[in-house]
Amino acid sequence: MKRACPTLLLCALATASAAQIGVYQPGSVVRMRMGDCMAAQHGLMATFGAPANATSQEACPEYTLVSSSVVYVIVGRSSNQLIPLAETIDFRFHKNELLVRIDDAKKESKFTIKEMLVRSDWDRLQRHIDQQLKADDVREAQR
Amino acid sequence: MGKRFGHFALTWFIAMIPCACGAASAAAEDGAEVLAKPTYRSAVSEVRLVFFATDEQNHNVGDLQKNDFAVVDNERVIREFRGFARANLTRLNVVVLIDASESVLPQVRSEIADTLQLMAQSSWSSDDNISVLSFSGMDVQVVCRDDCREVDEASRFESLPRGGATPLFDALQAATKLLAQRAQPDRWPVIVVFSDGEDTISRTSFAQALQNILVAGAQVYAVDVATPAGQSKGSATLQKIADDTGGRYLRIGDAGAGVFEQFIEDLHSAQVVTYVSPESHSDFHSVRIYPTHNLNLRFHSRRGYYRDSDRASSEDTR
Repeated sequence: MKRACPTLLLCALATASAAQIGVYQPGSVVRMRMGDCMAAQHGLMATFGAPANATSQEACPEYTLVSSSVVYVIVGRSSNQLIPLAETIDFRFHKNELLVRIDDAKKESKFTIKEMLVRSDWDRLQRHIDQQLKADDVREAQR
Repeated sequence: MGKRFGHFALTWFIAMIPCACGAASAAAEDGAEVLAKPTYRSAVSEVRLVFFATDEQNHNVGDLQKNDFAVVDNERVIREFRGFARANLTRLNVVVLIDASESVLPQVRSEIADTLQLMAQSSWSSDDNISVLSFSGMDVQVVCRDDCREVDEASRFESLPRGGATPLFDALQAATKLLAQRAQPDRWPVIVVFSDGEDTISRTSFAQALQNILVAGAQVYAVDVATPAGQSKGSATLQKIADDTGGRYLRIGDAGAGVFEQFIEDLHSAQVVTYVSPESHSDFHSVRIYPTHNLNLRFHSRRGYYRDSDRASSEDTR
């Protein structure tokens, strides 16, 4: 019993550490667009203060990143913060941000998480959109 | 002919392949009436995108692989391609536009002399179409049409009006029309514009001019003659036109004799990729190519296409 306690403690610490550092997960970018930049704002002033103008003029890349169970919409901090559009990329979480591993550069790139959707809901939504587009095409062809 | 001046063809085309998707006649049992069911037609559109890539030193990259890039078409990331190969661009359809307006008058004389000299020195193919237009005041003047290789056009240019306002967008429109008149599937349409980019009087808007260039599938090489180049609104205009059409923006000092050589290099490294156009509600599709691994690579291609070019053109003429 005495030996079990430290072991359990170590396991708990390891789990907490992994959660903090974040374990890499695979994902795939399926959509990309240039949209509004999301200023990194925190605290009371950010909530009630005027919007940050520094980034409002600039367009930032917005990616839809699909993982096995969750779909993330993430936004870069500047116009040139790009993700390599490989079939699969590795990402992890760190302090409410999503870090993407840039293989060739041997570094990580930080992104703000704008939206999160459960994968099954997102799949259903995509199917619905595709059906709508196909139906529109058929209607167009019938004219 | 000796060294052959190459060819571009960063053109896209959309092949509409109609297919009958469901017409079946239903025969009811025991002599019941045959009901005529509606016929549904769907369309598969193929996009052909010609591009070239440069590295961090702005040098052309010739040894690209299919998995080195992805296309983002109307926000959708496309990695499945129907085809990928060298573009084999062999014939050119070129219009050279020379700004002869007041704002660039001090540079005009040497600029024209240099341009015409460069053109004469280049080894064009006998099949290439090369026209030269100048623009100033309210007009776009034809300096020479179709075959500007062998004739000394400098003297003809001397007699044309100079000074006055800058109808840059009208000139681009005229160049696009000239390219369209001589359009052939295997001819690579290119506009080379020497200007400071400061339009002052055009009837054509910037958006209209850019749209028509995209519809024509032409690539613009913009040579900024402003001094200092690259710092004005006009420079930004030229940069935008060059970027959106998959061409290049060059400063007159940097470009020098290199502008025509730059074509040749781009032409030789050009690749063509084909893919199925994703479903969309809009006729216009924005297109960008991004690297899949090496973020130092930059891809030059037109930034959009119209699923229905005829419709886009007719809308513009209203």
